[in-house]
Amino acid sequence: MSDPTAVIETVNITKRFKEVLAVDSLSMKVQKGEIFGFLGPNGAGKSTTIKMVMGLFHPTSGSAFINGKPAGPDSVELRRDIGFLPERISFYDNLTPIQTLNFYCELRGADKSVVPSLIKEVGLEHAANRKVGTFSKGMVQLLGVAQAMIGNPSIYIMDEPTGGLDARWVKTVRDKIRTLNEQGATIIFSSHILSEVQALCHRIAIIDKGRLVVEGTVEDISDRLRIMPRLWIQASGIDKETITAIRSIAGVEEVSMSDEGLLVTCETEARMTVIASLRERGVAVSDFKTIDPSLEEAFVRLLSDKEGS
Amino acid sequence: MPIALRPVYAIAKKEFADNARNKWIISLIAIFMVLTIAASFMAGQGRAGEMDVTVGVLISISSILVPIISVMLGYATISGEAESGALSVVLACPVRRVEVLFGKLVGLGSVICLSILVGFGISGVLIAALTGHAEWSSYIVFILLTMLLGMLYLSLSVCISSVLKRRVTSLGAGVIVFFWGMICGMVWLGVYMAAGGDAAAFFEGEISDLPDWFWFEVFLSPQDGSGTATMLAFGETEIMGYSVNLPPWVNLGTLVLAHLIWTLVPIAIAYWRFQKRDV
Repeated sequence: MSDPTAVIETVNITKRFKEVLAVDSLSMKVQKGEIFGFLGPNGAGKSTTIKMVMGLFHPTSGSAFINGKPAGPDSVELRRDIGFLPERISFYDNLTPIQTLNFYCELRGADKSVVPSLIKEVGLEHAANRKVGTFSKGMVQLLGVAQAMIGNPSIYIMDEPTGGLDARWVKTVRDKIRTLNEQGATIIFSSHILSEVQALCHRIAIIDKGRLVVEGTVEDISDRLRIMPRLWIQASGIDKETITAIRSIAGVEEVSMSDEGLLVTCETEARMTVIASLRERGVAVSDFKTIDPSLEEAFVRLLSDKEGS
Repeated sequence: MPIALRPVYAIAKKEFADNARNKWIISLIAIFMVLTIAASFMAGQGRAGEMDVTVGVLISISSILVPIISVMLGYATISGEAESGALSVVLACPVRRVEVLFGKLVGLGSVICLSILVGFGISGVLIAALTGHAEWSSYIVFILLTMLLGMLYLSLSVCISSVLKRRVTSLGAGVIVFFWGMICGMVWLGVYMAAGGDAAAFFEGEISDLPDWFWFEVFLSPQDGSGTATMLAFGETEIMGYSVNLPPWVNLGTLVLAHLIWTLVPIAIAYWRFQKRDV
């Protein structure tokens, strides 16, 4: 039974390619209006899951739902409201971007008058009459973003949307994702760039070897894993005894010293005790700041825990 | 199996426009025209030969050329696009797979049929003007049979493309299917010899009393079937200069029916496999 409030849902979805179990009984939900990050190492099953949701791959078992309705190869009406950007996007080499987008407008039953503005939006107006076959990977990716926006869908499914783009266009695509979401679109995207996911997403799911490792907000996941914030302190006169004393403070997990300063991993409540202790020992603290837990830490921790178990 | 016409038309139009842009259509029309006029002058021994004789020469060439063109147009249409990733973008649009399949068949089929119609049509008019004789009804049947042969090999190549995963294996299988049509006659002759057939008599041209089952070969080889059907349309009873007695069940109707089966069964298989395919 699907959750009617979920825009996209997978229920025990499984895909096996002969001996390889690519996706193993994966259940997750994407709620309306959120940016949902889909993370996992290479070969984790992200693209396979996305393709099953889009009806491009047939699940071995389990189901995918879009807006509460079963999704499959012939779910035409469901796909009308989805903009899709596959990981390895390819267009017809012999068409120009205008001809390409006109073709997809015809397939989607959308008004072709939007094509010039879409091309401008992704910055391809200078190449509007060039054949797509002469495009760089990044330009093809941008054309893919434009293609996904045809018909102004309310759901976007993007598999590595910034892959192959240079820094300037990465920012353009990220801004576009944010703008689309602000306009009410639900966005699910996969990425290897954890900082990108952390900056953009409301919630994330991490999968590994086809199985869901964790699903939730970055904060929830950090809390659940007890990933503590770090305290960076710039100070002079720190000796070994001071480090030992800091380590003994309740709530301090780890202390390390480098040329850049002292790094203390500790619970939030212990931070002021650490600073006070340094002062008591005559250490001159010139600066300090808190470094929040990163998704990268959560990701590495989760996957190494999983491998360890 | 509901089919919406809009996506079928959009895909067919794109396939047709691709081939128009790449000058394929113009090239094919030119090839068919040059071929027909050359065949006419060969048949007329230096001057324009009449239609029935021209078509007699033309059959052997067009039955090789038309299948090759059809296989080349169709072999990569599913497997090639699936391999490149272009097909996944198309199938992520609100279209059914059956609509994509039919769109491709209609678009590529239009390229083949239009080229044959215009190429052979214009040259037919020229020959009729030069010789002052025209067997239009038979010539039109020849054009229609050639179109059917083109559609037949297109459906075979699209079927192969739908079943096989990679472009290169689709090309290999397309070549095998093409050669089957070419060598089927020889295989069948081998069966005839193995069954106690008189090889010496056969090669001396005594083929008027061949067993009826021997003629079943024209249903197994689309190229030979098309040639035989054209010959029957012109009322000819000679194959390569040898007079033949065809059994009554080898006639224009049964040959066209066989061609339709050869065309429709691969389309059905292509649909079935494409529906199940992971793209």
